[in-house]
Amino acid sequence: MSELLVTKAMLVTFGGLRAVDDVDLTVEEGKLVGLIGPNGAGKTTFIDGITGFVPTSGSVKFLGAEISGEPAHQRARRGLGRTWQSLELFEDLNIEENLQVAAEDQSAVGFLADLVWPSRKRGRDNVDFALDVLGIRDLAKRMPNEISQGQRKLVSAARALASRPRLVCMDEPAAGLDTSESHALGVRLRQIIDAGITIFLVDHDMGLVLNVCDYIYVIKFGATIAQGTPDEVKRNPKVIDAYLGSSAVPDT
Amino acid sequence: MGARSPTPRPSRRLDIDRSITSIARWVVVGVGVALLGFVLVSSDYRDNFLSGSGIALGALVAAIALGVVLTYRGSGVVNLANGAVAMYVGYVYTVLRRDGDLFLPPLPNPLSVVEGVVHRFQTHDTFKLPDLPTKISFGAAMTFWPALVISLLFCIALGLALHFLIFRPLRTAPPLAKVVASVGLFLYLQAVVVRRFGITPRAVKPMPFVNKKQIDLGLFKLSQEQLFVAVVVLVFALCLWILFQWTRFGLATRAAAENEKGAVVLGFSPDFLAGTNWVLSTVITGLLGIFVASINSTIEPIVIPALIVPALTAALVGSFSSFGRTTVAAFVLGMQVPLIQYLGVNSDWFPKSGNLPFPGGERLLPLLGIVLVLFLAGHALPTRGAIISGRLPFSPTPPRWAIRIAGPALAIGAGVVGLFYFGPGYRGALSDSLIGIIICLSVVVITGFVGQISLAQMAFAGISAFMVSKLSFEHGWPFPWPIFAGALAAMLVGLLVALPALRVRGVNLAIVTFAFAVAVDDMIFKNQSVSGGYNGAPVKAPAWVNPDHPSTHFLGLKVGDGKQPSVTTAIFCLIAVVVLCYLVANLRRSTTGRQMLAMRSNERAAAAAGVNVSGTKTLAFAISAFIAGIGGAVIAYRSGAATADKFDYTKSLVFFAFAYLGGISSVSGAIAGGFLVAGGLVFTFLQQSLGVPSEFTLMLGGLGLILTAILNPEGIAGGLRRDGMRLVARARARRPTADAALPPVRGAREGAA
Repeated sequence: MSELLVTKAMLVTFGGLRAVDDVDLTVEEGKLVGLIGPNGAGKTTFIDGITGFVPTSGSVKFLGAEISGEPAHQRARRGLGRTWQSLELFEDLNIEENLQVAAEDQSAVGFLADLVWPSRKRGRDNVDFALDVLGIRDLAKRMPNEISQGQRKLVSAARALASRPRLVCMDEPAAGLDTSESHALGVRLRQIIDAGITIFLVDHDMGLVLNVCDYIYVIKFGATIAQGTPDEVKRNPKVIDAYLGSSAVPDT
Repeated sequence: MGARSPTPRPSRRLDIDRSITSIARWVVVGVGVALLGFVLVSSDYRDNFLSGSGIALGALVAAIALGVVLTYRGSGVVNLANGAVAMYVGYVYTVLRRDGDLFLPPLPNPLSVVEGVVHRFQTHDTFKLPDLPTKISFGAAMTFWPALVISLLFCIALGLALHFLIFRPLRTAPPLAKVVASVGLFLYLQAVVVRRFGITPRAVKPMPFVNKKQIDLGLFKLSQEQLFVAVVVLVFALCLWILFQWTRFGLATRAAAENEKGAVVLGFSPDFLAGTNWVLSTVITGLLGIFVASINSTIEPIVIPALIVPALTAALVGSFSSFGRTTVAAFVLGMQVPLIQYLGVNSDWFPKSGNLPFPGGERLLPLLGIVLVLFLAGHALPTRGAIISGRLPFSPTPPRWAIRIAGPALAIGAGVVGLFYFGPGYRGALSDSLIGIIICLSVVVITGFVGQISLAQMAFAGISAFMVSKLSFEHGWPFPWPIFAGALAAMLVGLLVALPALRVRGVNLAIVTFAFAVAVDDMIFKNQSVSGGYNGAPVKAPAWVNPDHPSTHFLGLKVGDGKQPSVTTAIFCLIAVVVLCYLVANLRRSTTGRQMLAMRSNERAAAAAGVNVSGTKTLAFAISAFIAGIGGAVIAYRSGAATADKFDYTKSLVFFAFAYLGGISSVSGAIAGGFLVAGGLVFTFLQQSLGVPSEFTLMLGGLGLILTAILNPEGIAGGLRRDGMRLVARARARRPTADAALPPVRGAREGAA
């Protein structure tokens, strides 16, 4: 198994606050890796950091290349996709166009050719793939404001997959889902892994993460407090403390 | 600097990123202080910098800027029309003192339409319906105090009207709509004054209690009047500071800026706060408009409204919240004007154009100030929670049949009509409408597709037009190469403007581009050696494009009646429009078009989807400026010369207005906008058939812009599309077939709501 994403001593600070504090983390290809932590632990900031939305220090390697200084769109083009907790769909475009934006790459020649005679072919396969994996082909021509919140979540995930990334970071995909929907989401995630896309899942829904992930990191106040397989994490006293809300975790 | 973390660690990139901006900030401040010191040390420079005229101008700029800050704090509106407010109130006062009349804006009179229709069939003298009053007369010419009191009452009424009629309905609208409404207000106020009094300056009577006697205050030597206005503005600024710092009203306004509930908790309705701030703004602005006009003894409707640019610079320096910093910056910006003018005349090193000093130098500092402040304070991507609320008008994907069949067919139809039916009057109107379509298209690309407001489109067009004149007339370039060279030049300038746009968005970008348009207007278009003065810079065109060419033989047919513009000139405009419409429609259908709209919806998500946000924005500016450049070239060829008046800064606002009226987000909207432009088909029809005078064009344009922003943000084309879809949806509902199972159409749903 090759290492897809490796962070070493990754640090994000907001003023004096260390939102992500020296995190070392590895995501192996083909695995479903989870990151959990209580509210405010720095989970979303961690995703923002590796995908290029907040400046970081330390090292972020993707597919062996150092990407920590690159702008967000270049990281996306390298195959590092993400979703948002707040979904952030393109409200002005229909669902299919939402996916097309992610699926299509544009060259200068292609741009000029499009002005004269726009092609319909580019990125078609990727859009179809994403629509099918998440089973939302019937929504293709709808606008984002016409579909339900659950469907919007699927579209948001489909858009991240439409660029055929190597790794997709999912930010709280289970937020607001009930138990059975959460279970169905787990099945979908497994299908995505089977389709050859690695997933880095961030959530505070312990049930989902423990059920579907292969390997789990637990962070609190920006720092890693535990890592391991779901069984190891489940038994870790620090994790139990963090989630039962014990005020101070004694340093050992 | 922010608090350090307890255990400092090497975080290189962060520190560098932060330190570059802060170093740049200190460099800018340092250079500014050094320049100021240099100016104050040299006695020559000092006397011109601390001159009375500069201080009076600074006082007016400060008042306009204070008004801008007030309305921004009160209701979140950046009022681009505040300079126009100063000018308008100045006119109200001037007329009261001269004639004792309160002039009224032209009011819509339904009878005049009846009159116009009747006049089509019989002579004008036989049928006359009553007109609406143009003024309220208070008897004879007024003395200072009554005129001032009535003007102040007018200011209060104006402030309330602006709040209740325009900006309160727009409270939850996207920033674009608020900017659009303030542009509409700018055009409307200016057009009303031009309609009533023309553009020639009017004499203003002096104030009774101060005179032109010089007072020596050591450093400053200025007249009583000038000292008076400076003191008035400083007192206002101090009062505002006290009001906002120490009273519950100020606290509530500050709270409401963050969260309207905060004001409610303090026992103030946000509505009351916004309205009061509007009134304060118009009173302060209007009062200084009156005083400064009295000092200058004249008033005119073009220059004062443009003082909004230095005023906005000052407001930006004060972060749209600090009255003190705003006032100081405004005075500096006013006081540098006489200094720059003095340097232009007396310094050898000052850039010359011909024998005259390079014009418009005093515009440079405000523009530079805006760019620097925004660049140092801006962010490349909006951060968490700073997503622009509110939506821009929907931008539909043009269907294939429209691009490949309907569009060209329509265009050919229009060409045939232009050739064989229209006389010279309507032919000229058609040509101007076609040119309007081109400029509107350039607005559609930058504002409709990418959501960036550019108020400098006619500056791009003008650069191209004068380039065309130079290349075709002086260098003898053959047609059509000057067009492309001109458009390329416009594009390069557009790229320059795009630089701040990479870190600046929304209203701030509108400010940058507006300042740019004003600077280009003064520095290039008003420069005699470029613009060729009154007759303009001539353009050499081939016979068939030349508007004065009497007739052309085409395929053995004699085309044309010898009247300007020639039929083939109109066809030349038509060709340009068809090509550009086709390209822009394709752009909307292309990958790049989708990326632009994705970016317009959500820059962060677009970046996550692999869209190069900076690159796409730059590209959009380049395309938009290129199209505007083609438009400028076509304007130059269509009238046989490039003339400065076609490209002055108000024209950029006007075309933006008509593009928004037509529909900012689609090619069909640009076409609708083109029909509406001044001198275009719609107004020519109104004028020739219904007798609506041409001065009404801008007034109706400004008013229409305000109404569109409030009532129908999707513009005429969007409104028609929505109605059409509603009809289709209704027809489907009546006919319960398989069609009824189709997903609801977006437009139809909105229409029904």
